[in-house]
Amino acid sequence: MLETIKLSKTFKEKKVVDEINLFLDEGESVGLLGPNGAGKSTTISMISSLLKPTSGDVKLDGKSTIKDPSKIRKVLGVVPQEIALYEELSAYENLKFFGKIYKVKKDTLEDRIQEVLDMVGLQERQKELVKTFSGGMKRRVNIAAALLHDPEILILDEPTVGIDPQSRNHILETVRNLNVERGTTILYTSHYMEEVEQLCNRVYIMDHGKIIASGSKSELLSILSSEDTIQVQLSGQSDSLLDRIKSFTSVLQVDETNEGMRIISKKGSNILSELVHAAEKEDIQIVNFQVETPSLEDVFLHLTGKTLRD
Amino acid sequence: MGSFIKKDLLVFWRDRKEILAALLLPIALIVILNFAFSGIFNDDQASINLDVAIVQDDDPSAGLERFKETIQEGDFSQAEKATMIEQAASIEPSRLIHDFFNNKGLKEWVNTKELPEKEAKELVDNGELDAIIKIPKGFTYHVSSAIMLNKESEVALTIMAEDQSAEVRALQNIVNSFIDSLNLQFALGSKAESAATEPELPQGGKEVVEGVDTYTISRYFTIAISTLFALFMAQTVALKTVTEKRERVFNRIVLSDSNPLYFLLGKTVSTFILTLLQMVIVFASLQLLLDIFPGKPFAFWLGLMVVMTAFALTVAGLSALFTAMTLNLTNSNAVSGLSTLIIMTLGVLGGSFFPIQGFPEIIQKMGEWTPNGLTQTVLIEWIQFGNADDLLLPIIILIAVFVVCFGIGMSIFPKRGRI
Repeated sequence: MLETIKLSKTFKEKKVVDEINLFLDEGESVGLLGPNGAGKSTTISMISSLLKPTSGDVKLDGKSTIKDPSKIRKVLGVVPQEIALYEELSAYENLKFFGKIYKVKKDTLEDRIQEVLDMVGLQERQKELVKTFSGGMKRRVNIAAALLHDPEILILDEPTVGIDPQSRNHILETVRNLNVERGTTILYTSHYMEEVEQLCNRVYIMDHGKIIASGSKSELLSILSSEDTIQVQLSGQSDSLLDRIKSFTSVLQVDETNEGMRIISKKGSNILSELVHAAEKEDIQIVNFQVETPSLEDVFLHLTGKTLRD
Repeated sequence: MGSFIKKDLLVFWRDRKEILAALLLPIALIVILNFAFSGIFNDDQASINLDVAIVQDDDPSAGLERFKETIQEGDFSQAEKATMIEQAASIEPSRLIHDFFNNKGLKEWVNTKELPEKEAKELVDNGELDAIIKIPKGFTYHVSSAIMLNKESEVALTIMAEDQSAEVRALQNIVNSFIDSLNLQFALGSKAESAATEPELPQGGKEVVEGVDTYTISRYFTIAISTLFALFMAQTVALKTVTEKRERVFNRIVLSDSNPLYFLLGKTVSTFILTLLQMVIVFASLQLLLDIFPGKPFAFWLGLMVVMTAFALTVAGLSALFTAMTLNLTNSNAVSGLSTLIIMTLGVLGGSFFPIQGFPEIIQKMGEWTPNGLTQTVLIEWIQFGNADDLLLPIIILIAVFVVCFGIGMSIFPKRGRI
């Protein structure tokens, strides 16, 4: 349905997006993960036709949208990271304005406004000014405004940043319903791994402007299938202990944590005895030792060396 | 496009600070300035009262005798000699000066008394007198010779004063006007005492021309300040685009695939409506508060409305220009600074801060080419003469300024498809 082909963007000789290829099939829900500055928002801006790519193409049903963006604009709804609303207008007035400029038919606009307000659970407060709303309510109106023209594809750029749990759950529920019940194709970016795990069939992981991994959750987790993740709680910290552990042949990666360290080692390698020995030499006690089942967060960390919120 | 206009009007209306700045501030400012300055002007009017000494060093009889002797020695026929002597006797230049200052209109604010020079100087030094008019020795002889024999006069009236105050300058003007008037009358061959054309006297620092309505200080402030605040409306509406850009509302509008020019037209039309409303409210409020245009007929108000409409259109054009600039420049402070600079320059040149009549002619001419300066000029003429023909050209110019500004705005506005 929608695909990018070697899509690139360069700002002042800095390549922000570097030849990325991604695709969305009809009715799919796809996550786009990446740390800050990975190039997610620039990618979304190019897909949605707000930004012209330096090179590459965006195709909708096999046809390029670069020369004629109106094709994609008709079928695309974008929920930006910012609250793209008029704060001095009420929720209803905002939706009416955006509905009109989206050319929603006059006789159906009123019903459509009530429908989207119902979807985001704000029918009761539609007459109130947006500036009086909480952050979560504003984000819900932000989503409603992108749904007015009943888009086939919905791009959500971190739609749950800085909001209360109730609004967050409401937004997640709305997105899931749109995907499952209405068949809306979703491209979802978030800092919250659990949201992506919960909502998306497939995930793209971006870093430094490149797609570094992609696939379903199980496919991504299989990246770590040859590794064990071990959380070690220690009585104290020591740089020399860290260096000792790094020198173990079966250890692939060591990161300091608040309470000790996190070790990624080759699958099945028994490093416990070596670890105890090394800790004793440094006069540090091992308080707790736990081999974890890998999560997408671990995959992300493994691939980028950063957590999602870095 | 209606949606854009409605949205911009609603956004402006809901911003109470903007409403206060656009409507109440100009009204309050005009009222305050009007009271402050009209007080000063009234004081000036009351304070023009000159005490002047006339020092008579000339002996008219001796001067006339000397003139007669000169004539008798001259190469004239007896008939000519008799006529010239008769005319010289009737002129009596120093008497004309005394008569002039005893004129009823002038006596209301110039008190004259004849004093010896020494005493007069002492009184001027003490501040009891404002000035001395000295009729020099030989004045009668030299003036008569200048008039009758075309000889160059070797003596002149002198005005002596402690300092060059506005009153002393006014006295100089009066005396100069009197002398010019005398010269003209003699040049035309009329008699000195005919007093057919009395010199025009300034009345309380205010020029009054018969059949012409006065441009008062309250009218100046009303027009100057309301046009200045109207110019700021262009900036206020255009700078809303900065928020729309920052909050990505503009991106959402672009993604709706509606024609981006509707956005520009929306700003333009809403600025036009808001500016016209602002000016109507300011003028109406000041008419109620200060009665700035008492007893004016309906036609006057209609003409005023037409000029305000044309000016509002120009302001709308400026708004279009500022909006397009906002979308092109990444630094919102630069847009704000640049638009403020443009408005302040127009304000200064157009006489919105102070009247530019005292400035060099070139500055005045430049001022008349600014939208606010032109509007002021045309409104002054409309108030004074009420001639509808005078409105046509300025209105065409104001519309032309709108077309140019809107045209530039449209040409630099980001193109459809890629914003």
